[in-house]
Amino acid sequence: METNVKSACETCGLYNKAGLKKLGIHTDNFDFVVALAGNPNTGKSTVFNALTGLKQHTGNWPGKTVTRAEGGFEYNTQKYKLVDLPGTYSLLSTSEDEETARDFILFGKPDVTVIVADANRLERNLNLVLQILEITDKAVLCLNLMDEAERNKVDIDIRTLSRDLGIPVVPTSARFNRGIPELIQTISEIASGKIVCKPHRIKNVPKNIEKAVKTLTENIEKEFPNIPNSRWIAFRLLEGDKQIINALRTGEFI
Amino acid sequence: METYSPIFALVIFFIAVALLYVLFRPVKGWFWIIKKAFHTNEKVIIEDVLKQLYHFETSKNKVDMKTLVQVLDFKHADIVEAIKKMTINDLIYSESDVLKLTEEGRDYALRIVRVHRLWERYLADKTGIHKKEWHDRAESMEHRLSHDEAEELAAHLGHPKFDPHGDPIPTKTGKMASVHGVELPLLPIGSVGKITHIEDEPEVIYKQILAEHIYMGSMLKVIENNATRIVFESEGEVFKLAPIVAANLTVALIEKEVVLEDNVARLSSLKINETAKILGISRENRGESRRRLLDLGFVKGSSVSIDLLNPLGNPNAYLIKGTSIALRKDQASKILIKKD
Amino acid sequence: MKDNNIDHIIELSNELRWQIGDEFHDNLTESIYADAAEIVKDSVKTQDGEKRFRLDAKIDKIVTSKTWGFPIMFLILGTVLWLTIVGANYPSSLLASLLLDTVHPILRSGADSVQMPWWLSGFLIDGVYLAVAWVIAVMLPPMAIFFPMFTLLEDFGYLPRVAFNLDSLFNKSGAHGKQALTMSMGFGCNAAGVVATRIIDSPRERLIAIITNNFSLCNGRWPTQILIATIFIGAVVPKSLSSFASLLAVIGIAVLGMAFMFGVSWALSKTVLRGEVSTFNLELPPYRPPRFWKTIYTSLIDRTAIVLWRAIVFAAPAGAVIWLISNIHVGGDETIAAWLINGMDGFGFLLGLNGVILLAYIVAIPANEIVIPTILMLTVMVTGIGGGAGAGVMFELDSINATGDILKAGGWTLLTAINLMLFSLLHNPCSTTIYTIYKETNSVKWTTVASVMPVILGFVVTFLVAQIWRLIF
Repeated sequence: METNVKSACETCGLYNKAGLKKLGIHTDNFDFVVALAGNPNTGKSTVFNALTGLKQHTGNWPGKTVTRAEGGFEYNTQKYKLVDLPGTYSLLSTSEDEETARDFILFGKPDVTVIVADANRLERNLNLVLQILEITDKAVLCLNLMDEAERNKVDIDIRTLSRDLGIPVVPTSARFNRGIPELIQTISEIASGKIVCKPHRIKNVPKNIEKAVKTLTENIEKEFPNIPNSRWIAFRLLEGDKQIINALRTGEFI
Repeated sequence: METYSPIFALVIFFIAVALLYVLFRPVKGWFWIIKKAFHTNEKVIIEDVLKQLYHFETSKNKVDMKTLVQVLDFKHADIVEAIKKMTINDLIYSESDVLKLTEEGRDYALRIVRVHRLWERYLADKTGIHKKEWHDRAESMEHRLSHDEAEELAAHLGHPKFDPHGDPIPTKTGKMASVHGVELPLLPIGSVGKITHIEDEPEVIYKQILAEHIYMGSMLKVIENNATRIVFESEGEVFKLAPIVAANLTVALIEKEVVLEDNVARLSSLKINETAKILGISRENRGESRRRLLDLGFVKGSSVSIDLLNPLGNPNAYLIKGTSIALRKDQASKILIKKD
Repeated sequence: MKDNNIDHIIELSNELRWQIGDEFHDNLTESIYADAAEIVKDSVKTQDGEKRFRLDAKIDKIVTSKTWGFPIMFLILGTVLWLTIVGANYPSSLLASLLLDTVHPILRSGADSVQMPWWLSGFLIDGVYLAVAWVIAVMLPPMAIFFPMFTLLEDFGYLPRVAFNLDSLFNKSGAHGKQALTMSMGFGCNAAGVVATRIIDSPRERLIAIITNNFSLCNGRWPTQILIATIFIGAVVPKSLSSFASLLAVIGIAVLGMAFMFGVSWALSKTVLRGEVSTFNLELPPYRPPRFWKTIYTSLIDRTAIVLWRAIVFAAPAGAVIWLISNIHVGGDETIAAWLINGMDGFGFLLGLNGVILLAYIVAIPANEIVIPTILMLTVMVTGIGGGAGAGVMFELDSINATGDILKAGGWTLLTAINLMLFSLLHNPCSTTIYTIYKETNSVKWTTVASVMPVILGFVVTFLVAQIWRLIF
């Protein structure tokens, strides 16, 4: 069964349990920065706590984490700093939470972005996932709450999902620590460049908008070759996002 | 404490309260009236005159001194004084009693109109101020915002094209989108159209339109049209308006053979155990609130049903894309659905 | 050169935006969801479609039903408060006897044995130490009970349902349904309630919630209400009904607080905070069984400890001030305290209170917990009756009767008691809360409004009650 998250990984050579050390809030001299994004109520903070060994409290209440929490872990002698972003439904609006999350993924340039999604409500969660994939191409989907999904008889084909999204997908149940080792392994492989993602880009865009976006994207790429998110910047410019316009002027996101 | 008596204390207290009320009650308090009188200066009068002339010009009406004095709420002498100054400064000129704008005067007037409409748009998109207050607030704001501040505001709002009533906002350079459509009473029975503009003056009529819950951007179909009333159907509900009220609605005729979709209704009319597909969010729901609804999955094609009825009747919780989300009635009335 | 190109890009985007029209955002979101739907169709199989999961739906049907919704809500909130108040009694008195009756004398004799000057030991031990000890004894047990219980409800997912049930009341006062939560949180601690307003995402409604949170009777004020109600209200009815009557009086005060909360929210949204709720949406998340021990641990660490620490930081200087004003003399042999009390007696009388109470509320701004001990100490000082522990030394008596005797000797009547209960509900928030309001709003203006407005209301209400009372009786 695909949704079975218990794995033999802990015993296999790839996953080095001895190599894992949870660092709590002591995050000096890290090698990689990992951002943790996701909708509210997906157990994002539980994932954060499972990774760092911290005990940050967040209630079963949307929009609880207002400030950013930071923590760290060490895996195979490399130190990772983990930043827990506020839970948001989207990055397109202009609320404080969304700006914090958006700014970190765009300007903070994390080495890996972990997107936590509720396996029971995947469609709703994909709204945020697809937006993040427009911004960064180093991401992993952490499909959390798999235990609930199993109970609710939601069957997810991980391989197909991973292929469609173009990023690795790791099923987890962070409450019971299931899937966390695999998640750490995947994070390290993306950070070191062992896994290269080809993220999904938004397709069903109406023709007139696609045309406008294309014109803008070409112009942006002429000016800033090799940026991964020119299309997303084009989206934001069409929306008249003042912050992005300013950032474009100062060249902040390059 | 010899002079103390409870009655005496109460009397003093109530006198003090009455005094405070007279001074500071909203709008009509003496403090505010005096403050306003203090702020009415020449600049305000000049700008209001320019704006009025501009509106008369666009509606192709001629205006002389007399009409102007009637329309504007200033002292006669002040207006005459202002007109003199404006003529000297080449903002206006008169042709046999009819006052007209010079090129320069029109530019100035457009800037004022721009600020007014931008501010209304700001109030609509970014604040929770009620619609019926937008106009008055914008009236006072249009004199206070500098050119740069207006630009800043426009950028902040993403350079919008229309104000919340559907009036075009002039650009920096005076370019303006055009409003399509005709006044509702001119439409023949059976025609289908979309509300593109709701006039917010005079206030009495505007308030009637608001009370009917008629929204910008709604599709409608005229059922009855005669000298006494105009009846149309929109979003699953039937509206009856007097022609004078209906004349404040501008409707763009839909030329193509778009059949008004059957069973269109507002989400607020959904009953428990019914399911529906979402057709879209009314134009009337703007700014942050609109974006949030979209983000939550209230997009075209999503299926929706009532998850929970509220014990007090409002808000109800709707099941959308697997999650239960509570919306208040006025929000739900701005989401259009097609029942299955 | 580069700047030119960027300006060109921005110009171009403005031009294109003009062309594609206002519906860009709608279209983009629709595209994303369309993609999402395709992907989900590809990879997810569910058995019962989009139906909500059975158990959740069942619970929701009950807790939001017309018949059971409100009774369940009141029952749960009532139970939490009851457990807090009753359950805190024993540990509170244990802490009090340890910190006040055991440690305090030891410290005193310790100070004597090292021959510390009387003013220093008085300042440090009778002033600072006693205030801190009092705050810990009164505040820690109820908070250590209330917060974990509240957090458990929060983690389970019940609280959003409360907001859902109550929203239409808040709607009518121009506020957000989530204010129901911050209000309930305020019954534990107003400072924590103010922090909790972060869940309200529109700034106007959040400000309303912050300003009106003080109308929730907090843990620091419950004991005052109960004590005064027991002494004075319980005494006017037949003995068999006395505990019932005093309980009713306390509940009445709490309900009055909620009425003020709605009234002030309404008034604010009609005047200075004009407007309507702009972005309302309330997600009713799935129920999740809370992890009991972990929740208790984190709520103790995250909420109780932080709030307690802040209270201690503010209470320590208050204790010092209380000791100082009772021991420094101005002019002849009148202490500052006595001088202040005399000065405020007239105004206090107008409000149906007295100078002692007003002074106690001024020096007890840092923590409501020390109001009663301060009142007792000051009353003994000004009346010169026996008892007490010396100038500037706060104390409380084991027997409620003895407390009542002292207060009655200080000239207290039933009116004083009722007005004290009202004033305890309607006065400025404690300094911990004021500081928290400032941190959350970042605005001196709103912090001032939130601090001053309740006192003015308190003055007006007690004044009116006093005059009408005197007219009738």
